[in-house]
Amino acid sequence: MNVHEFMTTRLEFVDGGASVYEAIEKMVDKRIRSLVVRFSGKDDGYGVITARDVVFRVLAKGINPQKMKVAEIASKPLITITQDADLTEASGLMQKSNVARLFVSDGQRLVGLVSLMDVMRAMLIMRARGKYVL
Amino acid sequence: MFFEKAFRHGKKERKVIENIRSHLSLLRTACYTLETALEKRDRNLLGEVINLENEADVKRREILSNIYDGAFLPYLRPDLCKFVEIVDSIFDFLEETAYCYLEAEIPPEMGDECLRVAFFNRQMSEMLLITFQALVDGEDLREKTLAIRIYEKKIDDIKNYLTKDLRAVPVENFWNGLYLSNFLSSLTRISDVIEDASDHLQIISVSIR
Repeated sequence: MNVHEFMTTRLEFVDGGASVYEAIEKMVDKRIRSLVVRFSGKDDGYGVITARDVVFRVLAKGINPQKMKVAEIASKPLITITQDADLTEASGLMQKSNVARLFVSDGQRLVGLVSLMDVMRAMLIMRARGKYVL
Repeated sequence: MFFEKAFRHGKKERKVIENIRSHLSLLRTACYTLETALEKRDRNLLGEVINLENEADVKRREILSNIYDGAFLPYLRPDLCKFVEIVDSIFDFLEETAYCYLEAEIPPEMGDECLRVAFFNRQMSEMLLITFQALVDGEDLREKTLAIRIYEKKIDDIKNYLTKDLRAVPVENFWNGLYLSNFLSSLTRISDVIEDASDHLQIISVSIR
């Protein structure tokens, strides 16, 4: 089974210059755990900010999220995988990079996100299909 | 041993099993045809979905009459009939989706998500056929029904996005809006009913153990 079959195609973005609080609001409103960070200027490209970053690097340290920029805690570069990659390859890359989500690319374009839960679900489906070939 | 006796023993039972398998194969073909119609924006293929629904109706009548002609132990017959009726109602939603697609204008920004739903519907129909085969083979259905629930959850997530997107679509007149809404509603309802059918297979599986 390929990554594109099970990826989430809705990506949510936040600017690197936005406050961490704005990122938190977006995550809460959209009920998601990560946002793609858009950098501008010399830092051109994408990064990622996760709920884990927000908790461990900001809130738990007592830092005011309104006074910190997303760019200060975002991880960069994004760890990506191509959309025609196999899910076993995706799980290997997650394990190697110690991350729970990979961004899916089609050339230079970001087209989706595949999480550890997506990989688990897809693997369970492959297990269920088992010997049955239609 | 009891399973063999209850489920695969006689000629009449084998005939019903073969017909249910063929009913489910028709379902898979109908889901595949709908997916292809959406992918290629080919409205002619929608007529094919409607024809397959008619063919499925004929198959359903044949299965039901075979069952009440004496196939299977009497206590199993209502559950098998109910399963066949649930599968038949999936065809009804496929037909409704096809009719609505003929009339509706699908906004381009929603096309990809609709296609993903059709893709998952087709995968679920395949998994339902696999689940039925596993039942006939006397296997545990737990992993198969979980796979179907996973697909259903995936479609539910897409349905939420589509419902939100729908609110932002400008509607020119009442009928366009109604057909678009009915199209999305029936397209996303197919997976619910496939899940119901798989749950019913699980009930049958438990009842013959």
